[in-house]
Amino acid sequence: MKQFNRLKGNQGEEMAENYLRKRGYEIIVMNHQTRFGEVDIVALKNGTLVFVEVKFKQTEQFGTPEEMIGKNKLNQVRRTAEMYLLTNPDIAKKFDRYQIDAICIVGNEDNSIKRISHYENIY
Amino acid sequence: MLTKILSASHFGLEPNLIEVEVNVFKKGFPGFSIIGLPNKSIEEAKERVKTAILNSDIDFPNQKIVVNLAPADIPKEGSLYDLPIAIGILASMELVKMPDEKSFFYGELSLDGGLRHTKGVFLLGLAAKQKGIKSVFVPSGSANEASVLSGIDVYPVKSLSELITHLNGIKKIEKLSHSADSFEGPRSEDLNVEFDFAEIIGQESAKRAMTIAMAGGHNIFMMGSPGSGKTMLARASAGILPPLTDDESLEVTKIYSVSGLIPAGEGLIHERPFRSAHHTTSRIGLIGGGTNPHPGEISLSHNGVLFLDELPEFSRGTLEALRQPLEDGVVNITRIAGSVEFPAKFMLIAAANPCPCGYLGDPKKECKCTPRMIMKYQSKLSGPLMDRIDIHINVPAVDINKLMSTNSKPQILNSKAVREQVSKSRKIQEKRFKGLNVYVNANMKNKHIKEFCNITKEASVLLKQAVNSYNLSARTYFRIIKVSQTIADLSESKTIEHNHVAEALQYRVRNE
Repeated sequence: MKQFNRLKGNQGEEMAENYLRKRGYEIIVMNHQTRFGEVDIVALKNGTLVFVEVKFKQTEQFGTPEEMIGKNKLNQVRRTAEMYLLTNPDIAKKFDRYQIDAICIVGNEDNSIKRISHYENIY
Repeated sequence: MLTKILSASHFGLEPNLIEVEVNVFKKGFPGFSIIGLPNKSIEEAKERVKTAILNSDIDFPNQKIVVNLAPADIPKEGSLYDLPIAIGILASMELVKMPDEKSFFYGELSLDGGLRHTKGVFLLGLAAKQKGIKSVFVPSGSANEASVLSGIDVYPVKSLSELITHLNGIKKIEKLSHSADSFEGPRSEDLNVEFDFAEIIGQESAKRAMTIAMAGGHNIFMMGSPGSGKTMLARASAGILPPLTDDESLEVTKIYSVSGLIPAGEGLIHERPFRSAHHTTSRIGLIGGGTNPHPGEISLSHNGVLFLDELPEFSRGTLEALRQPLEDGVVNITRIAGSVEFPAKFMLIAAANPCPCGYLGDPKKECKCTPRMIMKYQSKLSGPLMDRIDIHINVPAVDINKLMSTNSKPQILNSKAVREQVSKSRKIQEKRFKGLNVYVNANMKNKHIKEFCNITKEASVLLKQAVNSYNLSARTYFRIIKVSQTIADLSESKTIEHNHVAEALQYRVRNE
């Protein structure tokens, strides 16, 4: 089951990656892990460093992906992002603005994308 | 889109206009936040509103929603904001049309989309009248509270979906007509009381004293050994309380509405309150208080009776806190959030044993207490507090033979007859104090005594003698006149005769 979740997560992150690339984002790192947690995607657009939290749901039957990103999750992403900036000073120095985005993806049964929503600067 | 909905909260007994601003954003991460100093019960409104909307067959918007309760610096509490928030969201989504005239929305939502009985609707009605707001939408269970007031349209709402169809003009909710006859109400003749006066055998003098106290709203203190019937007398006195007058009824309803003590579906309170507080009651519980002040027992027994059994068992601080409200008939509670005045014109019935073992002065049983114990016990009842009690009586133990005798005595007055006596004398008082905001003799101010009390020459000589020989305080002097006036009213005499004063004195002078 755990493995299966991981598989689905990777699937979602792949979709998000493609989505961002298409819109002109430069992907810096995927799945950056610290002891506080994980940032799914660190990307770059127009001089702003963007930390992206990706939520993928195969079906909306048990709630929307938006509902799954609560206050605590946001705080976790923020702390992880700060940790990333501390441990990578050479990247952090280059930018003076950061933001946290969320990408929520809902899939169909045949693994195609039903909808993909990008919310900017949600913290 | 931004929508503004009007509602009202209250601070103490003063209504506050609250504007519920709801914005449903087109952009942004979905979420639901409520700002404007909400407390926990409002935080939880999110889940109630969301579920109620879903259960009314409307999709809850997957959008960012911000609710602001303005003015933002007043702390808000209670579940009354559920309905305004829900309507605000629906109006922002353009699913309902807001009424053209200014309207109040008020009430707690149930998960199924129904509206629950919510406290404080009577105050909402008052606020609507004050601010000139024509229509109020309230839960159907609480609507009767507001329909007592004239000049406003009260719409009893059963459920959220019913209100949506009303606002969209599909099916109108019938408004509740102002019921002038609500004052007539169900004033039942046979009150639901534990004891009837006729059940109490003996204790004739105590019953007489109780009748006087009830007629004039005087405070009464009963002292007697255990089992002599003090508590029974007090409980039976609930049955001789006259019904509330119209003005009194409005005052009491206001307090009860704020406290949420009006049962669903009922409007005005007609029965005079009878509250009894246990001796472990805290000071705040008795006087009122809290960060957002709530009325205490003394305000809940406004225009009625507060019964404190085992008076010396109350903590000293609690009893002394009674002093000021006993004198002024109001209690001022000041907290950081502001100052509140609650009315507290109550009649105090207090009962106590004479000593810790209870048998001091009993003719049959010996008291086992040391003088020191007795002193300590009685010193709990401070002079200033006892000075504020008009009628002091001893309730001696009843002779067992009298209790067991089977021959019934038809001359014993039952509660109904006593109640009529009391009502009659209250009517005389009501007429006397018309327009003065005084209802009973006990609440007379000194200037009223000068104005209304006709003391005959003989009576005033007697009074003067008593003051000199017993060293009575100025307050006691005036209180004796008040009791004499009540006794005169009971015997339907226009003047205070010397026998009236003599009876009043007998209740006053305590055997130390």
